[in-house]
Amino acid sequence: MRYLLPSLLLIGTLAGCDIISEPKGNVGPNNGGGGGDGVTRNVLLEDCTGHLCNNCPDAAIRAQELKDIYGDRLVVVAVHMVNSFAQPQAPDFTTDFRTPAGTDYENTFQIDALPTGLVSRKSFNNSTLVSRYTWSTAVASLIDQDADVDLQIDSLNFDANSNSVSGTIRAIVFNPAAGPENLTIYLTEDHIIDWQVDQTATPPEVPDYEHRHVLRGALNGSWGEAFLSAADQVGDTVEISFSYPLPSNVLNPANCSLVAYVYNTTGASQYEVQQVTERKLVP
Amino acid sequence: MHPTRTLGLALATLALCLSGLLHAQDGGQIHGNFSTDGQLYNDDEQIGAVKPPADFGLNSWMNLNYRTGNFEAGARFESYEPALLGYPAGAAYNGTGVGYRYATFRKDGLEVTAGNFYEQFGQGLAFRTYEERALGVDNAMDGLRVKFNPDTGIYLKGIIGTQRFAFDNGTTKGAGIVRGLDGEISLAEAFPRLFPKLAAKGNSLIVGGSFVSKFQPDQDPFLELPENVGIWAGRANYVSAKWNLYSEYAYKINDPNGSNGNIYKPGQALMANATYSVRGLGISAGAHIFDNMVFQSDRGAPTLFDLNINYLPTLAKQHTYNLPATLYPYATQPNGEVAYQGEVFYKFKRGSKLGGKYGTKISANWSGAWSLDTTRLANDTIHLQGYSTNFFSMGDRQYFSDFNVELRKKLSANWELALTYLNLVYDIETVQGKAGKPVIYADMFILEGLHVISDKTSLRFELQHLATKQDHGNWATALAELTFSPHWFVAAMDQYNYGGSVETELIHYPIGTFGYIRGGSRFSFSYGRQRAGIFCVGGVCRVVPAANGLTASITTTF
Repeated sequence: MRYLLPSLLLIGTLAGCDIISEPKGNVGPNNGGGGGDGVTRNVLLEDCTGHLCNNCPDAAIRAQELKDIYGDRLVVVAVHMVNSFAQPQAPDFTTDFRTPAGTDYENTFQIDALPTGLVSRKSFNNSTLVSRYTWSTAVASLIDQDADVDLQIDSLNFDANSNSVSGTIRAIVFNPAAGPENLTIYLTEDHIIDWQVDQTATPPEVPDYEHRHVLRGALNGSWGEAFLSAADQVGDTVEISFSYPLPSNVLNPANCSLVAYVYNTTGASQYEVQQVTERKLVP
Repeated sequence: MHPTRTLGLALATLALCLSGLLHAQDGGQIHGNFSTDGQLYNDDEQIGAVKPPADFGLNSWMNLNYRTGNFEAGARFESYEPALLGYPAGAAYNGTGVGYRYATFRKDGLEVTAGNFYEQFGQGLAFRTYEERALGVDNAMDGLRVKFNPDTGIYLKGIIGTQRFAFDNGTTKGAGIVRGLDGEISLAEAFPRLFPKLAAKGNSLIVGGSFVSKFQPDQDPFLELPENVGIWAGRANYVSAKWNLYSEYAYKINDPNGSNGNIYKPGQALMANATYSVRGLGISAGAHIFDNMVFQSDRGAPTLFDLNINYLPTLAKQHTYNLPATLYPYATQPNGEVAYQGEVFYKFKRGSKLGGKYGTKISANWSGAWSLDTTRLANDTIHLQGYSTNFFSMGDRQYFSDFNVELRKKLSANWELALTYLNLVYDIETVQGKAGKPVIYADMFILEGLHVISDKTSLRFELQHLATKQDHGNWATALAELTFSPHWFVAAMDQYNYGGSVETELIHYPIGTFGYIRGGSRFSFSYGRQRAGIFCVGGVCRVVPAANGLTASITTTF
């Protein structure tokens, strides 16, 4: 009996751990080619961030690494939120990157710690909030799935005179929706040079940080508008036309993109993004 | 099934089970407790308090436990409708439901628990599940635990299950499976012939060892992640009438996770504590080294408050006075820290020159924590080890130090005073993640007094002052608490941030409290302001918002 303890510990040690010497030895990144012949799900990665959040630049790097791998199939949007990390702070951090939509998402998804992310707003391991270190796993688990719907920004016109954007968005149904799905349209702006706290920099207050894929506004509201329903049949095409003025915080329309996504409005997977697409405002 | 119906069914089932057991067996007992904390919020622009959409928050818990003979069962009902602002520390709690339930039987040295349980191996470097309700930390296991005492002085434990993650009309659980074994032998009890001196003197030498492993599938497209991650630990504890010596070491095998940036470096932890105590004198010393020791059952857990499998204690005095406890508290840096602590307590005897008529107590405590001496590895693209560690050396960066002296003296039959001085060094950039903020150097003086006015009435007061040239500058706190035994108490407190040499908005944080105690029940009501703050662990921060409003609290046991 007295030899039972060391025996059990030895068995446990041998059985309970995997030792990996070359972590990259047997795997390779998905090249973004898709998992099958049909249309697969694109993924929306909402990088919840703030210009006073010192770990957020690390999250942005990870998001960009994924974007570089998956290309158009991964849509990254940096959503500034949580007042203590995102509110303006004189004398340098005077730009307000926050948006009403970002505040709505902060409240709905109960976000109070940054950085974090929403990966197509799907729950992973019982949490909609996904650590930046597991974005790659979460994205990989979704991006090869067959899509229930294809989404295209069919036409897109930017009128510099009226500073407005218009166009049509089209969805093709592959599988009928389980319930109503809304369409939300974001306007994002890339390559904004402004202040950011970065704990890897010396000093950490960086005056010329490049902010990528910044959400400037949800053009049709934080929760979008009704678009698809369970009544839409396989093969149906649903179209919607839009026309909106550009948000007043946009600095350079040439760096802007339109992001459109459809998501479930009810049920256990409420808020989960089914399909997303992105198109540059100025080609 | 609708959550409310699920809860109703669970309640009905438990009630039926308990009533059936009550009728079926004699001598069974139900005991438990109930507590609730509610707050009605106001907007308060000056302190940045924003009223939530629901206007109020309410956290409630009730434990029900039934025990008869060798059998025990129980459940805890929890309600967050909605949760108080800033609660809990980790993943969100919402709704009402069963947060904890278990059944246990004991027979012939065997104890089996099915359902939820809290457990720890040694001091917890490899495994500890616990509930810290005030902070909102609960990493309870849900699974199976077996304890067995096969022979005198030999104790075995085995556990398997998943951990509590969040609460959504009931607990939600983490992704990983945790399993572990622990054994402990009290040598003097188990082998009295081999350790006759220990047995004769009543001293004990206890050695133990454990192995814990977690399983989580690997779905990463870039890295080959270990699906099974193991940690082993060994410990020894010598106890005599005057001495208590304890040491524990743990080694974690490659565990790439969110907090260490997915590096494959092993983790190590070593802690040692020694205490010596005789009548009127106590001396203690402790040290620990932690390197890459975050161990969570989900490698992508949203925060370091969630799904912790192990526990890394903080080597710093846990102050109870308001200013040192809430402004700059230290938290263990689990991925790299060297820390020390020493404490001396002495009581001057009654009748001696310094002891006077009633005796005098003096205690001095010092603790300090530093970064680990590490070197980042260049061209680390194959093995992803991250950095190398000079394990027994501390790095250049001091995270924290706290030197404090307390003098406590009973002056007369009616008066007792305690005077405390603290000197604090606090790296707010590391501990709270406030990048670019300078290290805080603070001095604090605290005077506490207790005046017994009559047999039933006493007044306790505190005057606290914190002086610093960093962060928000100087603070002062005054507290008075009047108790009318045995039922009533009333208290008033004001925290005042007046800056001093630091230019800051002058803000008072007044709050008043009154309460009623009857038997095992306590009711209290507070109205006033609560200061905003940030709690951080390892660079991830949780905002605790400022609040202004009415707080009500009820606790009772039965």
